[in-house]
Amino acid sequence: MDNTIVVSTPPHVKSRRTTRGIMIDVCIALLPSVIAGCVFFGWQALMIILMSVFACVATEFVYFFIQNKGFSKKCADAKAVCLRFVKQFDFTSVVTGLLLALILPTTDKWYEVFYEVLIGGIFSIAVVKMFFGGTGKNIVNPAAAGRAFMFISFSITTYTAAKISALDFTSGVFSDATNLSWLLNSTGNPETKATVLDLFLGTGIAGCIGETCKAAILAGYVYLAVRGVIKWWQPLLFIAVFGFTAVFMSGFTYVKSGGYIFDMELFLPHVLSGGVLFGAIFMFTDYTTSPKGIYGQIFYYVIGAVLVAVLRYFTKLEVTSFVILLMNLVVPLIDKYFIRKPFGYKKAKKEGK
Amino acid sequence: MKAVKGKYYFGGIHPRGMKELSANAALDVLSVDEVAISTHQSAGKPAITVVKAGQSVKCGELIAQADGDISSNVFASISGTVKEIKDVDGEEHIFITSDKSDATKFLPPLTDPDADEIRQRIKDCGIVGLGGAGFPTAVKVSTDKPVDTLIVNGAECEPYLTCDYRLMIEKTEEIAKGARYIAKALGVKKIIIGIESNKPDAVRAFEAFEDIQPVILRKQYPAGGEKQIIYTTTGRRLGIKKLPADVGVIVQNVGTCFAVYEAIENGKPLIERALTVSGKAVKEPKNLWVKVGTPVRDIVEYCGGESLTPKKVVTGGPMTGNAVASYDVYTRKTTSGVLLLSEKEAAAEQPTPCINCGKCADVCPMHLMPMNTAFYSAAGDFESAEKYGNATSCIECGACEYVCPAKRPLIQAIRKTKAELKKKDNKPVEVHDVAGKTLEEIDGKPVEEAAPENLKPEKEENNG
Repeated sequence: MDNTIVVSTPPHVKSRRTTRGIMIDVCIALLPSVIAGCVFFGWQALMIILMSVFACVATEFVYFFIQNKGFSKKCADAKAVCLRFVKQFDFTSVVTGLLLALILPTTDKWYEVFYEVLIGGIFSIAVVKMFFGGTGKNIVNPAAAGRAFMFISFSITTYTAAKISALDFTSGVFSDATNLSWLLNSTGNPETKATVLDLFLGTGIAGCIGETCKAAILAGYVYLAVRGVIKWWQPLLFIAVFGFTAVFMSGFTYVKSGGYIFDMELFLPHVLSGGVLFGAIFMFTDYTTSPKGIYGQIFYYVIGAVLVAVLRYFTKLEVTSFVILLMNLVVPLIDKYFIRKPFGYKKAKKEGK
Repeated sequence: MKAVKGKYYFGGIHPRGMKELSANAALDVLSVDEVAISTHQSAGKPAITVVKAGQSVKCGELIAQADGDISSNVFASISGTVKEIKDVDGEEHIFITSDKSDATKFLPPLTDPDADEIRQRIKDCGIVGLGGAGFPTAVKVSTDKPVDTLIVNGAECEPYLTCDYRLMIEKTEEIAKGARYIAKALGVKKIIIGIESNKPDAVRAFEAFEDIQPVILRKQYPAGGEKQIIYTTTGRRLGIKKLPADVGVIVQNVGTCFAVYEAIENGKPLIERALTVSGKAVKEPKNLWVKVGTPVRDIVEYCGGESLTPKKVVTGGPMTGNAVASYDVYTRKTTSGVLLLSEKEAAAEQPTPCINCGKCADVCPMHLMPMNTAFYSAAGDFESAEKYGNATSCIECGACEYVCPAKRPLIQAIRKTKAELKKKDNKPVEVHDVAGKTLEEIDGKPVEEAAPENLKPEKEENNG
């Protein structure tokens, strides 16, 4: 009987939360967006999502298989490696696959772009995640990096060039005009309110699979916040700072041309267009690539939001995923300079004062 | 006095309480045939044995004399014969076989003692902090710093444990008297008792006294941590490497207050304590009065034995207690519980990679960053571990490891960092007591100063 007793350092009871549980929670939170994407864009969207998830999980499996010398001559070894893979599988690659697919646009001819999605998924997992040491060791968000990789690599193909670069920012209801001029011209127009509702529900808007239906994204946010996976204030801080900066940027321009300064009616259209909401809730809050301390987190979200607003205004492109990559790279520095002071800490008084 | 609500501090966890297992079991007396009393019953030095094998002793007789100030007297907890004196796990244990008589040898009761008499009696009776740290109470009450408040710690924030709760509702009057004696020894007027909000009965019981202020603490482990209870009840922040007396308070556990009452009114030294036997793997969870030195095997047998195969046997609370390898261990003055945790309760999962979620930092009651300490100590860089994680300020409450989704061994990393930093400073590595607290944290002084000449490396003579 004594042999079964485990001796270890305290604590002897632990919470039931595991990494796998958290990642499954994120998958559940992404489900509304997946469903909304399928409803708006049809089964082609579902094919892209499935391909992306398949690419990510398969890449992780192959990497694990090679790493653990699964290609030995004995069949039993390979089987054991497979079992170990299933045992340690923590659903992070499923999350990456879902995120990557949801920030991709859809197309009628999914079979023409499937290799792009596959390569994007392989790059996300193999290069960005596994080469750096697997779960928890990647320095940038794999999905954002995969998307940036696709954007740069396949910019000649119509799929990525036309839609990834411009996204719903200039397409769909905003066709022919830039978002900002459209927003400005239609101020006070009864159509505006309907359009905000359209933006919110994602009806009649072209764009990425998961980013169009804001209602679905918010449902995911509520789930994550209630389950305690993300801190509820983080996306709100990001969105508030982003919205005010965007309003300020547009107002700033029109001061020069004799217009008015701030129009808070622009706040919602700014926040609800493009991938800002999706990025704020699912991508910026990624554990591995965001700061650990609370002050570092505030800094990270504020700077990230300002960068998205400013760059989006000047480049007229959807820059959220690039800003995510940029901010991810700054995280180690933020962690270095924002160290929490222990409870009851007092600054040492200088001598002679 | 009417109860007031305590302050909120940033951090803390809400573990599954599991107190319902034993909360309704009234304190029961366990009699034993043989005890093995360790001479190392306090946070300081072990006591010096003053009995020989074969000698007959009465219950309450001195068997080991305190060695210096930071040490405590040890008494025979049953009457009988000293069977043998031998080392168990590196500590001297005195084995006493019972003669089934209830012959006692207590000190004479004191009536209306003054402050010096109280202090002397506390010292004579070998009373130590019963909350887990085991710091000699006599040293705490002899402080020369200005103290204006006595905080009685009735938080009992650890899951499973209910012995303090039973004590508070069964011996309310005695605890209040004991607290008044301690207050008299310190010369303070204000007595606060901090009780966690999950024990409303105990709060109501203490509202009856006019001179005691009950404070309802939020259910937020570790609400009963020394720094946390000082902040939540008085709003004073205890700095790093500071003593409670530096901010004008002294914290005593309810069990200690009861022991002081017994020592003064009955002359009874510290020979028994209330203890909780709980966990899903024990048949009948109970609260017991247990003699110091009772074998855990006897306690488990008295509670009906195992109902499931235990995965972990813990002496003390589940968050800070020690896991033991067998039932052949003996209770101490500081043992507040014996827990038999089933496989489902005892989280013995393999750790997975850290995902940098930062939950450990969010729940840390000391506002540290345990993930940084773990990261750097794994790489052997203990100075960075201290710089970015502040490991030396850790109170080892275990909240970070409880909440960690990757089940990382954070407390182990923190203890290793502390030990390595000590080594680097050419100081002897401190001994961890039952609660995992070190003496240096408690009184701000190293256990013993190593002689400097012993630490200098021997010079190599290259002249010849």
